[in-house]
Amino acid sequence: MKELVLEILGWLGYLERPAVVLQIVLSLGLLLLSRLARRRRSFGNLPILIYTPVGLSLLALVCLLLTSAGQPAGLALLLGQLWLGWYGLSLLHRLLSRQLPAAALHQLETRLLRPGYLVLSALVLISYLDSLHDVAVIPLGQLLGVSVSVARIFNALLVTYLVLVGCGPPAAALAWVLQRLLGMGDGSRKATELMLRYAVVGLGLAGVAVHLGLNATALVAVAGGLSVGLGFGIKEVFSNFISGLWLLFEGSVRPGEVLMIDGDPCEVRRLGLRATLLWRDRDNAELLIPNQTFFTAAATTYTASDRMRRSQVSVGAAYHHDPATVIALLEATALQVPRVLRNPAPNALLLSYGDFAINYALRFWITNPMDNVGICSEVNQAIWLAFKQQNIEIPFPQQVEYSMVWPPETHQSNPGGGH
Amino acid sequence: MMEATAPALILRTSPIRALALLAALALSGCSSVPRLPTVVYIAVTANSDQHLDTELREDYRQRLWLLVEGFQQIYPRTTFQMGIYPEEQLFSAMARRSRAGLEPDLLFINGDTALRLLRAGLVDPFPADPALLRLFEPAVLARLRTADGRLAGLPILVQAQLSCYDRRTVQQPPRDLTELLSISASGQAVGLTVDPFNLLWTAGSLGALPALEGALQGRALSLADHQALVRWLAWLQNAGGQQRVTFFASQPETDAQFIAGRLSWIPCRSTALPMLRRRLGARLGVAPLPDGQDGRASAVNRLRVMALGRHSSRAGRERALSFSRFAVNPLTQRTLTTGSQTVLPANRFVSVPVQSSQLLQTLEIANQQGLQTDAMAGLLHGHETRLRSLQNLFTQVVFGETTPRAARDHLLRILAKNR
Repeated sequence: MKELVLEILGWLGYLERPAVVLQIVLSLGLLLLSRLARRRRSFGNLPILIYTPVGLSLLALVCLLLTSAGQPAGLALLLGQLWLGWYGLSLLHRLLSRQLPAAALHQLETRLLRPGYLVLSALVLISYLDSLHDVAVIPLGQLLGVSVSVARIFNALLVTYLVLVGCGPPAAALAWVLQRLLGMGDGSRKATELMLRYAVVGLGLAGVAVHLGLNATALVAVAGGLSVGLGFGIKEVFSNFISGLWLLFEGSVRPGEVLMIDGDPCEVRRLGLRATLLWRDRDNAELLIPNQTFFTAAATTYTASDRMRRSQVSVGAAYHHDPATVIALLEATALQVPRVLRNPAPNALLLSYGDFAINYALRFWITNPMDNVGICSEVNQAIWLAFKQQNIEIPFPQQVEYSMVWPPETHQSNPGGGH
Repeated sequence: MMEATAPALILRTSPIRALALLAALALSGCSSVPRLPTVVYIAVTANSDQHLDTELREDYRQRLWLLVEGFQQIYPRTTFQMGIYPEEQLFSAMARRSRAGLEPDLLFINGDTALRLLRAGLVDPFPADPALLRLFEPAVLARLRTADGRLAGLPILVQAQLSCYDRRTVQQPPRDLTELLSISASGQAVGLTVDPFNLLWTAGSLGALPALEGALQGRALSLADHQALVRWLAWLQNAGGQQRVTFFASQPETDAQFIAGRLSWIPCRSTALPMLRRRLGARLGVAPLPDGQDGRASAVNRLRVMALGRHSSRAGRERALSFSRFAVNPLTQRTLTTGSQTVLPANRFVSVPVQSSQLLQTLEIANQQGLQTDAMAGLLHGHETRLRSLQNLFTQVVFGETTPRAARDHLLRILAKNR
């Protein structure tokens, strides 16, 4: 590591050369001026995108003047090209924003395009200051008994990063193909995608270990150390990770599944390494619940063997209506609601004789558990309309009021009856 | 209350005041501020038959350290930063860096490469100091001069081509080609390479060197020259047909097989000796390349020179020149030769202590063998595309894909190109 630091510090010696300093000052000066002019809107109403091309044009002119004066201008030209590339990324952003959703574009830019461009720029700059081959073989020290060089570490980090960041789309594509071939459901597809990602990440990390030349003994030593660590500090992390994998294989908590959390149906959005992300329809909240919660605690699901949910609404009808008529009307009404399944057929029941009404329950089946509240509302509205059309009364609570007299022996009912 | 230190004071003041304070300190020539050392940037080439890795880098650094250690006793405020380039990439890298004003101060490279760089305007001619140039053979200097008399670089040392053998299996190294084939017939594996620079030594042993030189110079070849070429190519084909003689595509591949113990005898470079010695220890034997009945082995030795990069700062150029002069100082040359035991001095007044070291004696013999290829070295350079054609031709010859006569005609056509 010391050797690498000294190598990098050694590059500062080029600042001893006036031609180098001149190029750097001119390039950075124009860059800063361009940004300053843009911030102050120095060109009036001209579009904001014009400032960088103007700065770049001036830099090109400066390079031309330096060359014609017999001075080196390659560094200024390079800095200009890097500036142009960065500007190109901002143009690309505008182009891609029409094609991609904002979140996806943000991920693409922050995780791939910009880091990639910066790494590439750094490599190009180093190739002007030093031999890339030479820098690549600078030893950085020992890792688990293996000598590692700059190139090995760089490649290992690059591969790890690309595997972690870039394995999503290929895994999704492969899972989609498997879904088409095997006829899997969406939940299974998402679970397959996640498992493929884990497999690729696992293989990638193993490949990195092999690339670094780590031997089996060293890895066993690492595993030994980890087992001690698991016993203390990172037990929960590991437990959540293993729980997540287990739940994926078991298939009970997959993306798309609907679970009851604190009485509310919630849809599983993502099964992460540590926690599961669920979406609650009621208030559009996203819940992050550690994986091991599902592993150790009981959970209610509507989507384990199928996605159907049996739902129920309750209603009361006056005593003078024939229960058979009411039951038939309720079942017919449920069938008129589009999102209620015809099969299994809705079923109305007389539940009990209440204080002021006969209590009925209408049970029906729906396909999406997350739509329960909305469908119940539709069914209740349909019942209200149907009862109105059929003159079936939904009684409201009635109470008898009478005045107490003293002594109680003299008390008489109110005139006019007891209703 | 404690008195504020200077940096703390600077941090608390406004940026403009801080700048003014720093400028005042700089202008006052504050004696307590240490002056930065002068950095001398050196580019070194790894020959095309060397694999650039951490080990080779360390070898180069150690060799450079032999020079730097002494130089820093005279110029203690000088640090060196070395960058190793693969030979085939040096030209493009120097062109790029020269355009940016970032070329190294010194280039420690092969003589023919220095000449090519000078012709392309990528290095400055070395100042003709008669007292300094008297240290070298006029013929050597003549090879480093352009047509208008400019000197491409200062000769520093000679890297020789030798033979390496495994002492466990080869008791006595072969002195001629007949003995070489004899040890292969006795069951010892011999490795050769079809890389032209590492195979041309056989041309001298088989008397084909004058014909090759003539072809390169464009001279009309005699019947004897034609016969010599056919004899040489026929010997290569015959060797290729031997059960225990293997031709490899590159020298690093041959070295690897030798280290693995699968070969008992190979041609090798003196610069590879430290690495081979580390791997093989006392098993490594070193001898001159085997001569033949028709002549001495035409070892292709490499003359390493110091060339001056362009755009150096004044201090950098002064140090570069001082370092070059220091490197050819008789005492330094002797230290370089005896300390490394892998190179020979370029200074003609430095005698190699052949009596004190058998290895140096072998190197000296290799040097004498290599003198006969001096003329050819000026006609066939390491970067030429003709070398690739020659390698293809040699591959066809050793695999019996072409007859020696047809190969001779093809060879003459290749050598006639770009003349």
